[in-house]
Amino acid sequence: MKLRTTKYIIKEGFVNTYRNVLMSLASMGVVSASLIILGFFLVVTTNIEHNTRFLKEQPEMQVFCNPNMDEHQVGMLQWTISRDDRIESFEMVDKAAAFEKAKEMLGEDKEILEGLDESIMPVSFIIKLKNSRDYEEVVEKFKEYPGVDSVQYSQKAIDFVNKILRILQIGSSALIIILSAIAVFIISNTIKLTVFARRREINIMKYIGATDWFIRWPFIVEGIIIGLVGAFVSFAIIYIVYSVGGSGIKDGMAMLELVNMGDMSFQLISTFCMLGAFVGALGSVISIQKYLRV
Amino acid sequence: MLKLILKEEDPTEGEVFVNGYELSKMSRKEIPLLRRSLGVVFQDFRLLPNKTVYENVEFAMQITEALPKEIRRQVPMALALVGLSKKAKAYPNQLSGGEQQRVALARALVNNPALLIADEPTGNLDPETSWEIMKLLAEVNYRGTTVIVATHEKSIVDAMKKRVIAIDRGVIVRDQEKGQYEDEVKNHQIHY
Repeated sequence: MKLRTTKYIIKEGFVNTYRNVLMSLASMGVVSASLIILGFFLVVTTNIEHNTRFLKEQPEMQVFCNPNMDEHQVGMLQWTISRDDRIESFEMVDKAAAFEKAKEMLGEDKEILEGLDESIMPVSFIIKLKNSRDYEEVVEKFKEYPGVDSVQYSQKAIDFVNKILRILQIGSSALIIILSAIAVFIISNTIKLTVFARRREINIMKYIGATDWFIRWPFIVEGIIIGLVGAFVSFAIIYIVYSVGGSGIKDGMAMLELVNMGDMSFQLISTFCMLGAFVGALGSVISIQKYLRV
Repeated sequence: MLKLILKEEDPTEGEVFVNGYELSKMSRKEIPLLRRSLGVVFQDFRLLPNKTVYENVEFAMQITEALPKEIRRQVPMALALVGLSKKAKAYPNQLSGGEQQRVALARALVNNPALLIADEPTGNLDPETSWEIMKLLAEVNYRGTTVIVATHEKSIVDAMKKRVIAIDRGVIVRDQEKGQYEDEVKNHQIHY
């Protein structure tokens, strides 16, 4: 295709979008509505991923020693831990600290501990792994270590979070497909109305000897314009709602750490633009096909 | 029959040759090329309503991806030929029937086709404007383009004194130089 034809096609696409301004606005509305729903899911998924990230990044376990272990044995264990290169870092909780913590946890019932001293408490190590893959191996290793009573770890919580994340990811992928299909359907119908109004024109063009693509391209450009405008509108709406509503949610839940909108902007806008343009173009192609058979 | 030449319909049997194209062996993709090599004028003008006179004629060149320089030269020439240079910026609905048909003629001629096909070009026009259109067609013919006119207007056929081919139910019943309109049923007329 030659440059001047491209120019003609782009100009024609814009002119047509403007000429059928109501139809175009309707289609843009459909696109942005679908993208807003989709964007909502993406934002929620991103936030959940962000807030559960530490579970993946810093897998933790706590190795409890038998309270009767002597200092030498504890030292041996500590040495073993420090030599294991699958371990990122560790922290020793000695008897005194464990006793304090127990008191703290019991709160008003701390008189239970009266008459007892810290020697009943076990020494423990809080271990952070480099990689969550090594989890089971490391747990097994220390469970069998002589003098170790138990190894506590948050594997269940991690599995649970991963499961939720996976469901959300599958859900949003399915949503992308469903919403795109709906948007394509509605856009192709909207464009079909303008195509129907212009079918005579298309017919004439064919009679003069225009190729299918020469007629089709301006409609595709029109679809892409509609898709892109829809993408920007929905992005703007999500941006504003997130900025305003996000801080409200954050005040309500202290633990929650919201992802900065700026960090998501690029991902959102690029996803939106690609989907919008694709959906718009596809809608155009589908709706015009019937009238090209002359 | 004109529908066959434009490959709008395919013949039930036999072959059609137009401008060196063999239509029965043509793929859908080649149809535009065939149609570009012809100039066609229709009874109902078939102008693009959203484009000005100039743009309508220009469009026929744009689809062939002609050079802008070429377009700027050819379009005014074609409009001058049909005497509509002054109305270049008007839209089709602002023109009379005769003027619209002249625009259609300019559009058909702008690519310098070897063959000009006119399907009832005067069917929607009053006798006087019809005559103007026919004079233009004669002029085009004089300049070296083959012109095929399908019509059943007796006065026009009689006045032109050109070759007349009469067709009745798909069969050529008469082929005569400098013919007159006779009653054995009209010129090209089959698809009704």
